Amino acid sequence: MGKGIKLKNTTYDIAMTGMAIALIEVCKGAMMGLPNIELTSFWIILFTILLGKKICFVIPAFILIEGCMFGFGIWWVMYLYAWPLLALTAWIFRRQEHALFWAVLSGLYGLFFGALCAIPYVINGCFNGGLRSGLYAGFTWWVAGIPYDLLHCVGNFTLMLVLYRPVKKAFSLLRRFLLTGAD
Amino acid sequence: MTEAKKKDKKLMIGLAVLAALVAVFAILFILFRPGTTQGAKSITIEVVDNHGDSTMYDLQTDAEYLRQAMEEAQGLEFSGSESEYGMMVDTVNGVTADWNVDQSYWGFFVNGEYCNYGIETQPVTDGDAFQIIYSK
Repeated sequence: MGKGIKLKNTTYDIAMTGMAIALIEVCKGAMMGLPNIELTSFWIILFTILLGKKICFVIPAFILIEGCMFGFGIWWVMYLYAWPLLALTAWIFRRQEHALFWAVLSGLYGLFFGALCAIPYVINGCFNGGLRSGLYAGFTWWVAGIPYDLLHCVGNFTLMLVLYRPVKKAFSLLRRFLLTGAD
Repeated sequence: MTEAKKKDKKLMIGLAVLAALVAVFAILFILFRPGTTQGAKSITIEVVDNHGDSTMYDLQTDAEYLRQAMEEAQGLEFSGSESEYGMMVDTVNGVTADWNVDQSYWGFFVNGEYCNYGIETQPVTDGDAFQIIYSK
């Protein structure tokens, strides 16, 4: 076997991975009625910090479940790169401890989410009418959604700032309790 | 300067960058958002169904966006699923297009160009010719 990513799965890791997927899906479903106010970004960042490279199991499962539940439309193509990009960014900065840092990162992600999602429209437009047409299609689609991106940014920033410390601490206590039996 | 103070300074810079970007995005939206005109507008909506049959609707409307104009068009019936981005139309005049079944969908065009917005935010201007085409 080559020198790939070494992922040793303990019972704890498998349980955490399953719980992570379930938590992301439940929170997404519960907050579906709110325009771009979501906890998916929060959980993906937090679980990347907690699980490290094992987030590689969580994200594909989450994306696949979303596709199965809501259909494999163009929005699903965006999920294929948008959420892994967030996890990769969180993994790069995984040693950061400050809640404000993660709030800013999560806010930036929310702000640029529309721009990320405009990429398929640029590509589609390029195929239909050339580069200029593609860029125009992507730009107009992105601009129309900016109010949603602003909401996404504020929501992500606030949720991360409020929840990061208590939830991370809760998971640390849970891990200690499950692995050592200590209170 | 201590390490902690340096860190705090970097965080404050990050926060300022985020706030500045929010302002830039808001300005971009104000400058380039989809424009609409109010008042009596004369528009057409053509529906081309799965057999290629065309039905034309001519209407005078004050609608600012396509959804309202579609609701005003007598005889035009449509439905779909409501999402956070507005209605995703899947049925027009009783014909359902389902991407998951046969990769079919209702394509929306304005003056021969593919609509860049959903029906909630697609602007309506005087003289517009909309087409709703069953595509596969």
